[in-house]
Amino acid sequence: MIINAKKIFFGLLSVVLLMTSVPASAIDTSSVQAIPMQDAGRYKPYDSFARETLLLLYGKRKYNKRPAHEIVFTWFLLPEAWAKKEIIQLKQIQLKESLKLAKEESYFSPHELMTNDRLPLLFQELDAKQQAKEKLDPYYQSIQRLSSQLSLFRAVTSGMVFTFVPPKEGTKWLSVGDADFPKALIPKFQTMTSKFIHALGMGLQEVGAEKEAKIEAELKQAVEEFTVAARAQNPELYPSLQDISVEVFYNRLDPFQWSWILYLIAAIFLGVAWYTGGKRTNQAAWVFVVVGFLMHILGFALRVYIAGRPPVSNMYETVIWVSFGGMLFAMIIEAVYRQKFVLFCGAIGSVFCLVLASMAPGILDASIQPLEPVLVSNFWLLVHVMTITISYSAFLLAFVLGDIGLGMAIINEGKFRKQISNISNAIYRSMQIGVVLLAAGTILGGIWADYSWGRFWGWDPKETWALIALLGYLAVLHGRLSGWLRDFGVCASAVVAFSLVIMAWYGVNFVLGAGLHSYGFGGGGVQYVSGFVGIHVVYVIYAIVARQKNKGKSISAQ
Amino acid sequence: MKKQRSIAESILKFLASLKLAVIVIIAVGVISAWGTIVEARYNSEVATKIVYHSIYMIVIMSLLVINLIAVIVDRYPWKKHHLGFILAHIGIIILLIGSVVTQKMGVDGSLAIGVGQTGRHIQVPTTDVVVWASYNGDSFVKLAEQEVDFFLNPPSEEKPFVVPLPDSELKFIDYIPFAFEERKTIATEEKTDGPALRFQLQNDRVNVSEWLRMKTVDDAPSILNLGPAKIVLNRGNYKPSGDNEIVLMPSKNGKSLQYAIHSKRKELKTKKGQISSGQTIETGWMGLKFRVLKYLPHAKEDSNFVALERPTEVTRAAVKVAFNDEIHWFGLGSVVRFFSDKAAYVLRYGNRQIDIGFPMKLLNFEVGRYQGTSRAASYASDVEVPGVGEVNISMNEPLKHKGYTFYQASFQEDETGKPTVSVFSVNKDPGRFLKYLGSALIVLGSIVMFYFRRILINLYKGRKKS
Repeated sequence: MIINAKKIFFGLLSVVLLMTSVPASAIDTSSVQAIPMQDAGRYKPYDSFARETLLLLYGKRKYNKRPAHEIVFTWFLLPEAWAKKEIIQLKQIQLKESLKLAKEESYFSPHELMTNDRLPLLFQELDAKQQAKEKLDPYYQSIQRLSSQLSLFRAVTSGMVFTFVPPKEGTKWLSVGDADFPKALIPKFQTMTSKFIHALGMGLQEVGAEKEAKIEAELKQAVEEFTVAARAQNPELYPSLQDISVEVFYNRLDPFQWSWILYLIAAIFLGVAWYTGGKRTNQAAWVFVVVGFLMHILGFALRVYIAGRPPVSNMYETVIWVSFGGMLFAMIIEAVYRQKFVLFCGAIGSVFCLVLASMAPGILDASIQPLEPVLVSNFWLLVHVMTITISYSAFLLAFVLGDIGLGMAIINEGKFRKQISNISNAIYRSMQIGVVLLAAGTILGGIWADYSWGRFWGWDPKETWALIALLGYLAVLHGRLSGWLRDFGVCASAVVAFSLVIMAWYGVNFVLGAGLHSYGFGGGGVQYVSGFVGIHVVYVIYAIVARQKNKGKSISAQ
Repeated sequence: MKKQRSIAESILKFLASLKLAVIVIIAVGVISAWGTIVEARYNSEVATKIVYHSIYMIVIMSLLVINLIAVIVDRYPWKKHHLGFILAHIGIIILLIGSVVTQKMGVDGSLAIGVGQTGRHIQVPTTDVVVWASYNGDSFVKLAEQEVDFFLNPPSEEKPFVVPLPDSELKFIDYIPFAFEERKTIATEEKTDGPALRFQLQNDRVNVSEWLRMKTVDDAPSILNLGPAKIVLNRGNYKPSGDNEIVLMPSKNGKSLQYAIHSKRKELKTKKGQISSGQTIETGWMGLKFRVLKYLPHAKEDSNFVALERPTEVTRAAVKVAFNDEIHWFGLGSVVRFFSDKAAYVLRYGNRQIDIGFPMKLLNFEVGRYQGTSRAASYASDVEVPGVGEVNISMNEPLKHKGYTFYQASFQEDETGKPTVSVFSVNKDPGRFLKYLGSALIVLGSIVMFYFRRILINLYKGRKKS
């Protein structure tokens, strides 16, 4: 252990205890965020690791309003105190029952869990399932999650995860917990640690701006000395500080959050403009949309720079991408038809997606992970995924438009006949965009499969569901052409057909992938998504019934 | 005459109608959705057999093609603004023809080659039953070779699958689609069968129980290396290796069992004694306790097939075969021998092997890992093929040779993580051109239909006016 207990700052225990009750610190410790490390197959700043770790264990981005980089490091410094704190998030009811834990609690201490005498048994069961390569249901998924939470906590407390120093030979970086951590670096690491603790401790008191600046500068200096020494171990393996600071900047900026805030403001302005017909409000809305969109692009650009690949490899990234496409198509259709409500619906759809992405970190993993071998440097893969998912944007736009159209039909179809017809036209336009992109994307998927596996079409569930969604929208387009579907029908089918997109996009991975018997349990948000689909089905049925009634009334009135 | 034509016309109208199109489109979607559910429950082979290649799918696809052709015929004489519509619909027909060609004439198999070894037979999903016979015990002649699909047509006692033989017959009388082969060690009376032992090694953190078995009484020692300790089952003399070892020695008549615990640390003396089933001894290492759970003086390994509801990576199909009075269960991929008074028969039930016509040697296999992890980032095989020389096959960089394409699919590794076998997906697809052509037409047609139609119509009108 390279941390000598005697050298630890005297106030450490009190710091940790205080941190759990006093949220704000005046002293900025962010210089430690940019310490480069190696984790999960790539270089990243310590900040990203700390954020991912806190999110996995605690399920939130901050602990008592304290940033992750402060919290996670103190786990290492004072494991005994943290072991008794409720920092492990566990929500699955069935698992809590098996462990005889309080059902109404969602957070438990590592100590409480690790000393639970039923846990080893559950881990054994999980192990048996994994060895037999069975699909895991939500219950076992939550055991798996708990197992990784606890082992990550252990790895943090032992220091094994803090891989801060490149090796002289080989590629695996040395961690603070390693026996062969270079001796020469130990004093530098200790200085940095004690400065960090000092900053935390002093941040709890009123020390005055001058002293604060001094403490911050000292910490920064200590971090710099450590990283310079770490780089000297093997400069070739050390990432450039610029790359690392770009990622820290990305983490801190959280560009997609800015996007949705701006889109939301725009949506409000558009709603008002649509209602009042005010030209100024409309222009203001466009400004917010454009700035939000630029933020969206900036976020993408940063993510591409950090990951070194286009960001469409997991659910989180596709949600961001779809909201981007939704906004893009809304802007195009709006610019052509100038109806105001198209941009409004685009903004609503995008806000919904982006809020989802930032509110459900347990389901939509925002961390940047390296790709599976078959996905690396594959042009066709990229093109087909991006094409298919951006087609979902067009269907998302159609879906929101359909929702609004149905709402109008419910309120008063006769009065809003013109508007509903306009909405139906806009839906038709977005569906056309979507169908062309989805058809092209599905075919490109075939080309990708042929190129990578020699199989143009292998009935892979993901591709098959993309095809089913395509068939669904083709049925709608042909139904409109044949006269089966009129304005109201188009609105209703835009809402219903979006369920196919949800199934292709989310359901294949989270419902089919997790085994069909997992319906109703949740664990990956299945209950929320099916609730969302269910509510919309009910909404459509209600609209149809309400419309029949209204018709009956108007006939009897005549 | 006139009335007849109108019937023909109304049939055409119906076949060409948008309403039929909508129904067919929805039907294809529903069947496909059902297929993905079956696939999630079972696997893709099952889904292909019972859904995607089912009669329902064939009927509905034929109806789709008829609908597509009828609608194109119905629009005759074609106008310029029909261009996109015709291209897209012909594209779908060509794409579907392409997939039928692939399905009927294509080859889609896999080839696994060990490092340093040569392979020339690819394995395809089709299963065959092959029987050879030998009358002199030396040369074999092929008696029968037949393609079978026991999944769709399972044999049973009532409806067996019979292979006639000159002096008897082979009857397939039962079938399990997803069988798990359970291996058991059981006691025998045979004096030449070797001893077997089931033990448990336990402390606060470790809990291992395993079987050790010698095949015959004269077999080499059976050794299980658990890392920090070795467990050895041996008859006769055994020279300690100097590591932590527990050596178990059955007596001459096999009835009793002696043990000796050798320790790495010189100061600990070798501990010796007698032990029987159920007894526990302290090893003296890290609080580990050694317990004999079961001791069998003579044992053999037996396997039986357990039917599972769903396939996993370790299940395979199994069949029950009757030959005269003998009845055997065996799994897909087995080769078994039967003997009658006159002849010896060899039966093979397994996936078809296709000779690709040239050998392929795997010279080297490499796995690239993501930095600091054991996650594979890339893998590649160096192969040697006569007439081509040395080639590197990697993910997304296949080798094309004599009509076949070899894709790097996966690999197998030993316990130390060293790759030992490279698996290629091998494929021949005569429908490829049609599928690409159809795809191109669909995309082109849709774009023309949705975005250039107005322009075309305007052009057409403009020309008319001028």
